[in-house]
Amino acid sequence: MSHTVLQAKNISWAIEQLTIIQNIDFSIDAGETVAIVGPNGAGKTSLLKCLYGEHRDYSGQISIKGKSLQQISPRQVAKKIAVVSQHAESVFNLSALDIVSMGLIPHKGLFDTTTTADHIKIDQALNKVDLLNKKNQSFNTLSGGEQQRILIARAIVQSPDLLIMDEPTNHLDIYYQHQILQLAKKLKITLLLTIHDLNLAAQYCDRIVLIANGRLYADDIPEVVFNEKLLSKVFKLDCHVDQNPFTQSPRITFSGNISNPQLSNIRHAESIVND
Amino acid sequence: MTRLSTKSTLIILLSLVVFTMLLSMGFGVAELGHDEVWQCISSGCDKPIYDTILWQIRLPRVLLGFLAGFGLAVAGALMQNVTRNPLADPYLFGIIAGAGLGATLSTFLPANLQFFSLPLAAFLGALFAVFIVIVVVVRNNWRKTEHLLLAGVAVNFLFSSGTSFILYMGDAFSSNRVIFWLMGSLARADQTALMWIFPVVLIVTIAALLLGRQLDALLLSDDSARTLGVHVEKLRITVLILCAALTAVIVSFCGGIGFVGLMIPHIVRRFVGLTTAKLLIATGLVGGCFLIWVDVLARTSLGGQEIPIGVITSAIGSIFFLLIMRKM
Repeated sequence: MSHTVLQAKNISWAIEQLTIIQNIDFSIDAGETVAIVGPNGAGKTSLLKCLYGEHRDYSGQISIKGKSLQQISPRQVAKKIAVVSQHAESVFNLSALDIVSMGLIPHKGLFDTTTTADHIKIDQALNKVDLLNKKNQSFNTLSGGEQQRILIARAIVQSPDLLIMDEPTNHLDIYYQHQILQLAKKLKITLLLTIHDLNLAAQYCDRIVLIANGRLYADDIPEVVFNEKLLSKVFKLDCHVDQNPFTQSPRITFSGNISNPQLSNIRHAESIVND
Repeated sequence: MTRLSTKSTLIILLSLVVFTMLLSMGFGVAELGHDEVWQCISSGCDKPIYDTILWQIRLPRVLLGFLAGFGLAVAGALMQNVTRNPLADPYLFGIIAGAGLGATLSTFLPANLQFFSLPLAAFLGALFAVFIVIVVVVRNNWRKTEHLLLAGVAVNFLFSSGTSFILYMGDAFSSNRVIFWLMGSLARADQTALMWIFPVVLIVTIAALLLGRQLDALLLSDDSARTLGVHVEKLRITVLILCAALTAVIVSFCGGIGFVGLMIPHIVRRFVGLTTAKLLIATGLVGGCFLIWVDVLARTSLGGQEIPIGVITSAIGSIFFLLIMRKM
């Protein structure tokens, strides 16, 4: 029997009367890895921000393990949902250990001290991402892939029910892209991520939520969502789908022929929002 | 830079504080040297005058120097962490300018009231300046931490121009007194000053230590802190109010002592790291010792004449910054 970790019902969110996402429904079961994919400005990051409580002025209902997100405090949300954001650089010279230790914050009250068990938990998390030997190194001097792994270690310390990753493979080379996703899968935690690379999504995710122009277009297994007709329509490019010879997951190739001139209008609206 | 452990840091700094306090009490214009001070502490003073000088003049001054340095350094470290700006300083609120205007306005009061009313007027002026800065920033929805610094700079100039105008128009004696006060001094060291400053320093430090973890979350980014369950805006305004109260009470008794809140956290951060709790304690202890020694310099370097303490801290601070820039 599956247990629903996160449920989003009829979610809409607008900024200054510009609707960014509208009427989106989906849910995630325990242990699933779900990718939200779609063109730039589709509303992926806005949707994520609604899901982890950054945007609280959405309409609709979001619940985490049966509890409405709007009825629990930000600290309670942080105990249930950990977020690995896009590239984060510190103004100060924070060490890797400083960052990973932040995972304890939602679990500690004003008078709680850091215990030996906490130190062990932090070291174990660093060990899981294979960076225990770099725990005293400055976060800013680590490579992009290592920084992502440190943020994942922070999420491990946070011990959430759901890990959300916002474009975790951005700015990483092909080796680190696979390394980060394999690491996230190995954690055996319920995982929701946004990702631009459809082939990575097909290879690593159990389910794909496809959105464009703020609306839900499909929510199913990769083999169903990644079909030529749907992808051509959403991404406005001619598309070919066959099978990855190594993983047998769908392999998506785009021709580069732009098939819909209206695309530029949609992207223009999205870029206004992102600015 | 290798960071020191919490235990080693505490042992080193507490030893430094004890050493500084004991040694600094042996400096002064009166003939009460280190031998006499040690004798007074261990077996009582030879002469009654030594008792008076040591316990009623030098000790309160050393304690005031320690508390003022501790408080300014803690306020600086808090401001820098909460705005994620290594150049933030408690005076960037416009606090010193507000206190200056308050002190200047107090010169219009009858002469027999001025000794008491100057600290109070300075305190109210400082709080008023902070109030304006915070209102501007809150009305602006805290979109950027830079807004806080820019609002502080604007209020600083506004209040400074008001002070300059009143001093220009005012009588020479009152103006001189305010100008000397603005340059900073620990000459007001007495029980009243200690009774006002000590509880504020203690309460603000404890409150900041309790908020330490949440403040740590701010060090990466506001978004990151929110995902850790921190209410960023509420936390930032709480810390700003704590810093404002701390700086205002120090400024009202000690005048303008610049650069301590800017410079000390910079130095200490290199040795103990960024974690708020550890940084605050270490910064406070180093800041306290620093100001005691600056006061020793202020009292003794020109024989019987005292140099305003703010002049020395600003000179040391500026040189320190030029050296830092050379390494950038």
